[in-house]
Amino acid sequence: MLDNLLLGLAAALHLKQFFFMTLGTVIGLWVGVLPGLGAPVAMAILIPFTFSMDPLSALLMLASISVGGAFGGSVTSILLNIPGEASSAATSYDGYPMAQQGNAKVAMGLSAGASMVAGIIGVLILMFASAPVAKASLAFSPAEYFALAILGLTVVSVAALGSTVKGLAMGALGIAISLIGVDSILGTERYTFGSVYLLDGVSFVPVMVGLFAITELIDMVIAGGTIAKAGKLDGSLWEGFWGTFKYPFVLIQSTAVGAFLGMIPGIGATAANFLAYGIAMRSSKHPELFGKGAPEGVIAPEASNNSCIPTSLIPALTLGIPGGVTSAILLVAVTLQGLRPGPMLFTSNPELVWGFFMGLLIGAVMATLLYLVMIPWFALITVVRIELMAPMLLIITLFGAYANDRNMMDVFVAIFFGLFGYFARRHGYPLISLIIGLILGKLAEGSFAQALMISDHDYSVFVLRPLSAAIFALCVILIVWPGVKKRLGMGGAEVT
Amino acid sequence: MNARARSFWREEIALVALLLAFFAGIVCFALPLPFDARLFPLVIGGAGILLTLAIAAVELRRPLADVPLPPADDPAATVGWPRFLTALLCAPAFGLLFWLFGFVVASLAAMLAMPVLMDYPHRRQIVVVAVVTVVVLTVLCPYLLDVSLPRGVVGDWLVDKLFPDT
Repeated sequence: MLDNLLLGLAAALHLKQFFFMTLGTVIGLWVGVLPGLGAPVAMAILIPFTFSMDPLSALLMLASISVGGAFGGSVTSILLNIPGEASSAATSYDGYPMAQQGNAKVAMGLSAGASMVAGIIGVLILMFASAPVAKASLAFSPAEYFALAILGLTVVSVAALGSTVKGLAMGALGIAISLIGVDSILGTERYTFGSVYLLDGVSFVPVMVGLFAITELIDMVIAGGTIAKAGKLDGSLWEGFWGTFKYPFVLIQSTAVGAFLGMIPGIGATAANFLAYGIAMRSSKHPELFGKGAPEGVIAPEASNNSCIPTSLIPALTLGIPGGVTSAILLVAVTLQGLRPGPMLFTSNPELVWGFFMGLLIGAVMATLLYLVMIPWFALITVVRIELMAPMLLIITLFGAYANDRNMMDVFVAIFFGLFGYFARRHGYPLISLIIGLILGKLAEGSFAQALMISDHDYSVFVLRPLSAAIFALCVILIVWPGVKKRLGMGGAEVT
Repeated sequence: MNARARSFWREEIALVALLLAFFAGIVCFALPLPFDARLFPLVIGGAGILLTLAIAAVELRRPLADVPLPPADDPAATVGWPRFLTALLCAPAFGLLFWLFGFVVASLAAMLAMPVLMDYPHRRQIVVVAVVTVVVLTVLCPYLLDVSLPRGVVGDWLVDKLFPDT
């Protein structure tokens, strides 16, 4: 192990690797800040440029984009209530109220501290637990995957704004939208009505742009003025950065949630983001402060999404199963370099694998430093007049929706979901449940169908398997617990 | 129930109706599909209908006096209809211009019209910011995103007419 670590360190400490990591991180920060674009789009665009690079530089640059994207995504969540990345959406719950209170710098410092610690821990887990953990996740049957998808949706619906029933209805809506297109089991066309655009289903990017960016833009245009109502930016960046360590329990708990969910293919950083937020709120002594600018509300989602990125590479590198979009793109890059992902990669290319791991470790610190250097400039956005900023954001977000697939229909889909989202949010329908439903829809349907096929259409498979039954029991408890608590007169806080 | 509460309640009922129609559509259009392709849509559509009916029951059984008002911090409650319409229609209008006339015209129109409609008083600043923003985005976007800027339906038609050989 020590030999591998030294080998990796020697490979990663080249000036060339530093250059590509810095380049990747800056690109990641930039696209992370722009709502609707995001790291996967930038990674996909840059893949052709990696053909001529050596494998380690290519992988480190692409992975750095992903890390930078996670950092950058939190900037607009905090400053504008518009998540640059879906995996930073929960950060806005408390980050934005902090910005409105004039504490944008503190919130971004908290985000940087949590992201760095979680990123480092995530890479260490990736280094030392790759093979055994990937083996453990193989033990999950489709019934458990289905149960996990429903759990993700339930937690989000319970933790999100408004009533749980409205949250679940929005989750069902998200899953229903994910059903549009060619069905993954039989290849049957569903709900396409002859449209070529709908054959591939409704793309995730324009829906996210609509629900988060356009909805927020509508509110911004109505409100006018500046984002920071005080008109100035109080607080200190370093106060926030060091403030992260005042909440060690939330930091470790959320890092563990993100790291665990990252290892399970298909769950991803977005679900981890919300799950960690929900758990942090429920375990907090002051849940009533969540949604109003609680520091734990920034630490939890940021720690979880940053620990999720490295651990999502565990099944990707050891088994060739991508844990999410970014790890899927990295797998493509590995294959394009003439390498074969899987257990043999560790024995045939130890310098590459361990160099990559050490590069990620260095990259987590590098991304933090770059983020901290750039934060004061990002923070200035909150005092710019909305009258000038709103049209710029409108252009960039809708162009981002278009650039995703170079399809004008995506622009109209984004606008439709923006208008729908505005009215739905006014009436307490949590938009994030819709997004989570859309993300988990394919996974839920695929695992639901596989579980039934394996059990010969015996529906009891979902409750007879102990782990699956336990997860479903947890879902039921999460739904009924607020009502029981109310009946027992135990009070409880609602996030608003 | 005052007019504002009534309008807010109507919005809620319209949303519930929209959701109910969508889930009913999911169920109805799934029926002709093969069993394996329709099973999950039926489960999700059925669950959606039940959840929507539960929301509707709460709303319809609520005494008129208890109908909720829009949130106190709802900015829409304090602005006039021109600002509200600007907010709601800016994205559809931009989308329409983007489709018809392409990126440059739509962006310039948005940058020039939106601040004016939002009562921003510094006209010269608006023009400078609009021109600089559109020029920067027009130059940078194609290179950074590897996307050529769309010229729109009208733009493409004009190019076909004026430069048929290109």
